[in-house]
Amino acid sequence: MKESFFRSMTWMHTWVGLLVCWLLYLVFFAGTISFFRDEVTLWNQPALHSLQAPQERIALQREQIIAGVDYLKATAPESGRWGIYLPTEREPQLNYAFEKPRPEGRRFGGWQDYYINPKTGESLQQPRETKGGNFFYRLHFDLHYIDVRTARWIVCFASLFMLVALISGVVIHKRIFKDMFSFRKNKGSRSWLDGHNVSSVLALPFHIMITYTGLITLIFMLFPYPAMTAYDDGIRGFFNDVTPTNVRTKSSDVPAPLTAIDNVLDQIYTNWPNADLTRFSIKDPNKASATITVRASTGTLVRDQTPTMLFNGVDGSLIAKSVDEYSSTEVFYDSLTALHTGRLANPLLRWLYFLCGVAGCIMIATGCIMWAKRIRERMKKDQKASFGLKLVEGLNLATLMGLPLATCAFFIANRLLPVGITQRADKEILAFFITWLAVALFSLFKRAKMQWYLLAWVNAVACVSVPLINALTTKGSIVSYLLNSQWALFSFDLVCLVCALLFVLQAKKLRTQLNSPAANTRSNRVNKNSLVEQKG
Amino acid sequence: MYAQPVNKVPTRNPLIKLKMACKANVYALCVVSRFSAAIVGGYIFTAVFTSLLSLILPLKKSDAVLLSISLTIFVYSCVFIWAFAVKSLKTIWITILLTSSACGLSIALLKDWL
Amino acid sequence: MIELLQFSLCLLAFNCFALAKFNHYRDVFKTRPSQQQSQWFLISAWISILLSLLLCIVEHQGYGGLLFCGYMALSVLLLMIFYSFKAAWVKYMSAVNVILLVISGSYIAIY
Repeated sequence: MKESFFRSMTWMHTWVGLLVCWLLYLVFFAGTISFFRDEVTLWNQPALHSLQAPQERIALQREQIIAGVDYLKATAPESGRWGIYLPTEREPQLNYAFEKPRPEGRRFGGWQDYYINPKTGESLQQPRETKGGNFFYRLHFDLHYIDVRTARWIVCFASLFMLVALISGVVIHKRIFKDMFSFRKNKGSRSWLDGHNVSSVLALPFHIMITYTGLITLIFMLFPYPAMTAYDDGIRGFFNDVTPTNVRTKSSDVPAPLTAIDNVLDQIYTNWPNADLTRFSIKDPNKASATITVRASTGTLVRDQTPTMLFNGVDGSLIAKSVDEYSSTEVFYDSLTALHTGRLANPLLRWLYFLCGVAGCIMIATGCIMWAKRIRERMKKDQKASFGLKLVEGLNLATLMGLPLATCAFFIANRLLPVGITQRADKEILAFFITWLAVALFSLFKRAKMQWYLLAWVNAVACVSVPLINALTTKGSIVSYLLNSQWALFSFDLVCLVCALLFVLQAKKLRTQLNSPAANTRSNRVNKNSLVEQKG
Repeated sequence: MYAQPVNKVPTRNPLIKLKMACKANVYALCVVSRFSAAIVGGYIFTAVFTSLLSLILPLKKSDAVLLSISLTIFVYSCVFIWAFAVKSLKTIWITILLTSSACGLSIALLKDWL
Repeated sequence: MIELLQFSLCLLAFNCFALAKFNHYRDVFKTRPSQQQSQWFLISAWISILLSLLLCIVEHQGYGGLLFCGYMALSVLLLMIFYSFKAAWVKYMSAVNVILLVISGSYIAIY
C-alpha cells in the first residue's frame, strides 16, 4: 500500500499496535500475574499461610479421598455435587467441597468449601472470601463487568492484532541480530525504540508462542466452523468424540446408595500405578444417576488434557477413560494449550515465563510511549497537540501507571476489608477498578511529565504499603516468610518491594528530566528517516 | 507518521479545499477498506478454507478438525499481512472473494448440500 | 546443577555471538577484532548454544525446550544490561560465567 513492502509493514505495525496496545497491556499485565495465580491466591488467604506440605503428599491421597467421602456423606448427603480437591505442589490445602442448594434457573449453586490441613488432618478456619490470583486470570481473557463472550471476542481480535504486529515487527527490524544487545540511553525516542526492540527480541519465541497459543485456547469460539462442517451434529459431536469422559448425563431423583469408594480407588491405582490425583468429584451422590470423575496431574508433560476416569457411582464400574495413547495431532493441539497455561512449569520455568511476560509488558509499554514521544519531538514550537496525541498520552498514563496502582489497591483491600462482609471478593475487585478509574480521571486533566512523576511516587508508596500492611494485619511478614522458608509468600512481598524500587528509580529519573528540560533529548529534530533505522 | 496527509498549506480557494477534502476522505476510505479486507475478509477466508481442510485432510475426523483448527490462526495472520502487503485494494478484495467462494463451493459439493 | 550448566552454556554462547561483532568487541577490548577472531567467536557460540539445547532436551524433553527458550531470554537480558551500561565489567562477568560452567560441568561429570 505504501511505496515499498517495508514501508507498508511499518505503517501496519504502527497502527495495528496502536489501536489495541492498552487493552493488550492489560491482557499481558493480568496474564503475567496469573502465572503465579495459585501463589497470589495463597497470599490473599492468610488463614492458609501456616500450611506446610506433608512429606508424602501423593501417598496420603487415598486416605484423604476416603475421609473426604465420609465427611461429605455426613455433612451434605442431599447436595448435587461433591468435590474433593487434593493438595498440589502449589496449593497446599485439602478441600472437601459440596454444591450449595441450587437456586431456581441456575445451573450451579456455588461451592461450599471445607479446608483441611493435610499434614495434621485438622480442619482450618475458613479463609476470607477472595478471588485472589483467579481475578487476574479471568481478567486477562474475560475482562470484567462485560458479557464474557463479548470480552473474549474483543481479546481475540486484540491478540490477532498483536500476532500481526509481532510478525511485521520482525519483518521491519532489519538489524535484529546486530542490535540485539544495544540500548542507547538518554537519547529520547531512540532510547524508547531500543527498549522496544530489546524487550521484543529477547523473548521473541515466548511472545509469538503465547499470542498464538492464547488464540488457540479460544479457538472453538472463534472458528467453530471446521468442527461444524466435519461433524453432522456440529461441535457437540466433535467434543463427544474427542473427550469421552465429558459425556453429560441426565440427573435423576431416584435415590441409590453410593458404591464403596475402596473399589473405585483400587481400579484407579490398577490403571495408573503412581498417579498424582488432583480431583475426585461425585455428581448426584446417593442418586441413581451418580457418576464419579477422577483426575490426575500431568506433571511436567507438555500436555493439557488431564488423565480422567469416569465411573458409575452406583455400581463402581468404569464408564469411560481418557485415552492412553494420543495421536500426534491430538498431542500437537494439546501441547499448544499446555504451552499457554504453563501449568506444567516448576518454579524455575515459572519464573522464566514470568520474566518473559514482564518483557512483553515492557514491549507494549515502550511501543505506546515511543509513538507519543515521536510525535512530540516532531512538533514545532508553537504547534498544539492534536486530539489523537492527547488521547494517546492520556491512555498511556492511565494504563501504564494506573494498572500497577490498581493492583496494589486490590491487595491492600484484601488485607483491610473486614472479613465477614458480604460479596467481599467483588468489593476487592471494585477497589481495583475504582483506583484505575481515579488514575484515568487524573490523566484526563493533565498528562505531562509532572503527572508521570507524581504517579511514580504514588505507585512506589503503594507497592511498599502492600508488604507493610501485610506485616501489620497478619501474623507473618517478609522476614518471617524468609525465616520459615515460605518461599511463595516471601517472593510475593519481595516482588512488591522490587516494584517499589523501580518506581522510585523512575521518579528520580523524571525528576532529573524535569529539572533540566533542555538536556534530556539529543534528538530534538527528528527527520523522517529515523523511523526506518539506519538502512543496512 | 504516515496516517495524516502531509499537505497543510492553507488555501482560500474553495475548489482546492473541496479537492483536498475528497482526497483526505478517499484516503480514510482506503484505510477502512483495507482493514475490512484484512479483518472481515481474512476471517471469512480462514473459516471456509479451514473447514475445507477439515474435510479433505487424510486423517481421522477428529484429528482433521484439530489440525485445521490449530492452523486457523496461522492462515488468518498470513492473510492479514498479505492484505497490507499488496498494493492494489481491488486485487485483495477480488482474490479473497474468489478464493472464499471456491472453498465454500467445494465444501458444499463435498457435503452434498448442493 | 544441570540447569546451571545449561544456562551457563547459553550465556557463554550469546556472549560469544556479541563479541563476534565489531562494536561489542571494541567496547570490551578497545581494539578491532580480526576476521579470524570473529570466526572463532562465532564457531564457539554455535557449539555452546547447540550443546545447551541438547542438554535441555536430553534432560527434560519438551519441558527442556521451554527452559531453553527461557535461558535465551535471560541471557540476552543480562548481556544487554552489561554491554549497554557496564561494558567494563563484561570481562569479569565472562570469567564468572566460565567458572560456573566449569564447576557445574565437573559436578555433573563426577556424579
